[in-house]
Amino acid sequence: MAEDPVHDGKRFDPMEPWKGVRDIYLDAWGKTMVDMVNSEAYAQATGAVLDTYLTVSAPFREAVEKAMLKTLEQLAMPSRADVVSIAGRMTNIEMRLDDLDAKLDGIQRLIVQAGTAPLAEPRPAHQRSKPPASKKTSSAKKAKRGKK
Amino acid sequence: MAEAPVLTDPFTEAAERLKTLTKVMSTKAAIGQTPKELVWTLNKAKLYRYTPVLPQEQRHPVPVVLVFALMNRPYILDLRPGHSFVEYMVNKGYDLYLLDWGAPGPEDKNLTFDDYTLDYMPRAIRKLKATFGVEEFSLLGWCIGAILTTIYAALRGDEDGLRNLILLTAPLDFSDKQNLTFARWTDERYFDVDKVLATFGNMPGEMIDYGAKALKPVENYVGNYVKLWDNIDDPRMVESWHAMNTWVTDNVPLAGGAFRQLIVDLYRKDKLMRGELMIRGQRVDLSRIHANLLTVIAEDDHITPSCQSEPIMAEVVTSESWRAAEPASSPGRTSMAGWHLVPSKDQSSLTCGIRR
Repeated sequence: MAEDPVHDGKRFDPMEPWKGVRDIYLDAWGKTMVDMVNSEAYAQATGAVLDTYLTVSAPFREAVEKAMLKTLEQLAMPSRADVVSIAGRMTNIEMRLDDLDAKLDGIQRLIVQAGTAPLAEPRPAHQRSKPPASKKTSSAKKAKRGKK
Repeated sequence: MAEAPVLTDPFTEAAERLKTLTKVMSTKAAIGQTPKELVWTLNKAKLYRYTPVLPQEQRHPVPVVLVFALMNRPYILDLRPGHSFVEYMVNKGYDLYLLDWGAPGPEDKNLTFDDYTLDYMPRAIRKLKATFGVEEFSLLGWCIGAILTTIYAALRGDEDGLRNLILLTAPLDFSDKQNLTFARWTDERYFDVDKVLATFGNMPGEMIDYGAKALKPVENYVGNYVKLWDNIDDPRMVESWHAMNTWVTDNVPLAGGAFRQLIVDLYRKDKLMRGELMIRGQRVDLSRIHANLLTVIAEDDHITPSCQSEPIMAEVVTSESWRAAEPASSPGRTSMAGWHLVPSKDQSSLTCGIRR
């Protein structure tokens, strides 16, 4: 009956010697490839391949872009340029909001420094003061009373 | 007569191995699990705060902001529980923030280092300081994130309250062209950066990934998988490989404007170290960095060799000399050449790491 030969708790692996050879080969191959990619010739070759790809694919890309643009126009859908333009405007709005936020933070800090208000902790909604509209109403009422 | 199990056992094992291989090659590992909250956002950029685990009085008073590279996902810093730089720092009591640049879209193709360092970073820092009531902070930049933090430190560091600058494998010096394979590949004789960007807008993540892997093609395209197959019965190794592979294969494009600056101004003209880099009309003068500087250099880093990170010492340090700490001796850290501890011009004593 066949038994699994065990040495030092590890089963004998018939592939182990092959792995050693493989690692030596991979190591040598790796060093050769590193030397190769570090050469001027490789840089020149990859540059040429990339340049050729960009040049050859340009007419196809342009054709696809034009066709897509017309299709989207026919379907009354926004093109990539439209979406990009909106995204740019959104970022500008975000920046404006961030500027306003900075100004509000500055005002809040000044108020705190002046000691006219406690540290700004967000208060629960039911504890917040009533909106200014109600004050306007009361002052309006006073004005009316004064007229009377 | 041979018993059946003796014959079927290797097949069962091989089937299990193939199953594991298929799983790790076709799924994404759970990464970036340390809890965090969103503090600020602008366009694709987001500032997160990692939820502190220690009470306020036990935490370090100066927060640390991690600024990651523009073309990778930042969760490599928080890869998996037990193997996470973020988790370690949070457990050590650091108030930790992450500035994640996100993935630029076609609308971001004109974003440059100018925008990142003078629009995004100051705004994020302002929000951090206003929200959490701190005056000083530390920056940790990795790779291109280290370029950004260095530029920011030179232009805005003093004004904004930068106390400590930590650079991790920072590619700042591009003068030694012989040791920089990327510099050779992107030489203007072979690589037309304008044509590439006119075609793609942003530099595609796949091309950046190819560039990084092609530096050591056999290790990355063959050896990496051979190593997995050899250790496929070891669940811990498989888990580690799976998490790392999830990060390595998750590439993001690099904004066209920033890529052009990286290639033309840095790789080709080495403007940062020459003191010629202009950011929105301001010259980036590295001698204006007054924050404490710690730069971590990996000895055998083939992407950012040490010759790119070391020269900043001479630019920033004047009277005191910098020194390299002893290389870490534990087997897991053999690639780390040393922690170069640099006192700033205004500090009389050597600063070890981040001061409390």
